[in-house]
Amino acid sequence: MLAPYVLGLVVLVLGPFVITLALAFTDYDLIRPPEWTGTGNFAELADDPIFRTALVNSLVFAAIAVPLRLLIALGLALLLHRRAVAAGPARTAAVLPAAVPEIAYGLLWLWLLNPLHGPINQVLTMGGQNGLTVLGRTPPLWLTDPVDARAAIILMSLFTIGETFIILLAARRALPRDVYELAALEDATGWDVLRRITLPLIAPVLGLLLVRDVIQSLHFSFVPALVVTDGGPPPYATTYIPLFAYRTAFEYLRYGYAAAATLVMLLLTVAAVAVQWRLLRRYRRFHDR
Amino acid sequence: MTDAGLVLEGVSAAYRDTRVLHRLDLEVHRGELLVVLGPSGAGKSTLLRLVAGLHPVDEGRVLIQGRDVTGLRPGRRNVSMVFQSYALFPHLTALDNITFGLEVRDVSRAAARDRARAAAASVGCAHLLDRRPGQLSGGERQRVALARALVREPDLFLFDEPLSNLDPELRVETRGELKALHARLGVTSVHVTHDQTEALVLADRIAVLRDGRLEQLGTPDEIWRTPATVFVARFVGSPAMNLVPAGGPIVPSGLPEPCAGDHLLGFRPEAVRLTTAAAEPESFPLPAFDAAGTVERVDVVGEDAYAYIQVSDHVLTARVPATARPAPGDPVGVGVRWADVHVFDAGSGRRVPAP
Repeated sequence: MLAPYVLGLVVLVLGPFVITLALAFTDYDLIRPPEWTGTGNFAELADDPIFRTALVNSLVFAAIAVPLRLLIALGLALLLHRRAVAAGPARTAAVLPAAVPEIAYGLLWLWLLNPLHGPINQVLTMGGQNGLTVLGRTPPLWLTDPVDARAAIILMSLFTIGETFIILLAARRALPRDVYELAALEDATGWDVLRRITLPLIAPVLGLLLVRDVIQSLHFSFVPALVVTDGGPPPYATTYIPLFAYRTAFEYLRYGYAAAATLVMLLLTVAAVAVQWRLLRRYRRFHDR
Repeated sequence: MTDAGLVLEGVSAAYRDTRVLHRLDLEVHRGELLVVLGPSGAGKSTLLRLVAGLHPVDEGRVLIQGRDVTGLRPGRRNVSMVFQSYALFPHLTALDNITFGLEVRDVSRAAARDRARAAAASVGCAHLLDRRPGQLSGGERQRVALARALVREPDLFLFDEPLSNLDPELRVETRGELKALHARLGVTSVHVTHDQTEALVLADRIAVLRDGRLEQLGTPDEIWRTPATVFVARFVGSPAMNLVPAGGPIVPSGLPEPCAGDHLLGFRPEAVRLTTAAAEPESFPLPAFDAAGTVERVDVVGEDAYAYIQVSDHVLTARVPATARPAPGDPVGVGVRWADVHVFDAGSGRRVPAP
């Protein structure tokens, strides 16, 4: 019964993984046969300023986008889990952006973020004069300023939280109702209820989502960086490792070098997940005591 | 200041679109333990929840110790509730569960812990304070829930079927402890149950609820000896009271005058006197007995046996000592003393004063 799954796993996951692993120690341009170079690729990566920029970009992106995404999804789930007027449409709206195909989603943001004609800056300059905001400052140059462009990529990632939102919504709804009624009888404030009841009870789910989002944060920076900012503005402000690997492999045909970059990212991910996993286990042990 | 611990004035409530309480009036004396008894769906839990403020009141007023709390949120009513499921916080130790209500009210941690220990000691769960609910048995959880309810010294205790999740042996034991606890604390309490034994044992007074209306309010003795309606008569007592039309299959000895046909006669299984042909073979059926019947089935429960007897087209239940039980198929004489008979109006189901 497992055969089709095992076959798929071997052909689609394990095979490419082993090949990537092997290619990382070679030079390969798709035309000549791979040439063994040992750790040469890794030594070159360590000295490559573009790779270092991409690495830092990726880490900063994950460090900011992942917690923000979780926070927003949690906030929405806690706001919208009740039966209330318009809660249903609001839940749909929260999930919907995740259903838009990635490329279309990127193109949509290209328009939204247009510094002059995009609706975001139109709103920001509302009430201001000469294209400035009310406070007399220049509106963000989303696609041309390095810092603003990084912010734009993070901003784009904050709306595709549909899946996280649904999981947290289900987790919140699974919590026993009488516990909340008891808290009401004890006159616990909303803050007390959140801090002493909801967060501790929902923490295991939050932990798992955190691990998952860290792994996925590499993926959801790729399409926006490719479609919206094209890895720029200079100097490589929104070049993340997936885009770096993509360019290196498919534009510069340096497959071995790209494989090495991918491998570095994989190791970093594994390390991050391992650290979180240990923290989670410690938390759980503490609570099951 | 009034003498009332809790007053409901013409209270109505609905669940979704169904009305579950109909202009209910109820007064619980201060320090009294009132048991609300009724079958499922009678509105018992709704009654409790609207006193607690967890369910909206459609009309009427709720007063706790003379204070109108109808518009107050649950936390401002100073009531404690023990839930059927106990509603313990799974992530907190027993101690932290008990101190929760104090801590959110900004009692210092040290003071809260001292009070929690005292409360836990008074319900016998002082040795469980370091454990989490997942490591406690049903009975132990219940004690923790009780300690949490009484640590805050509320004006009113609400118990929502707190014994229903315990096994029978523990239920009897905990029932006794609850009664003793109430006697010691003297706090006004409302206890909801569908278990008539629990109601009869625990209550100072019992309110029998049916379809959102009060059937009878009275002491356990009154409920047992002078049930106000056919419903109360049948609901309280196990097996249920026998009910036959007046002038029907059995005419109680000493009946002062023939009752009219629109009355129902009720008598408990304990009041039925049986005689068997085996016991008095010479002159069976005895003229002293009111009716003759055939034993259909006999259930033996330890010392007691319940005999189900077919008398013309009615089945009567009789409680007899297990040692003197008849066998199925035996012809028996059935008798009832007039003093043991309750008379009800057949139309309204209400009790008719004995003539």
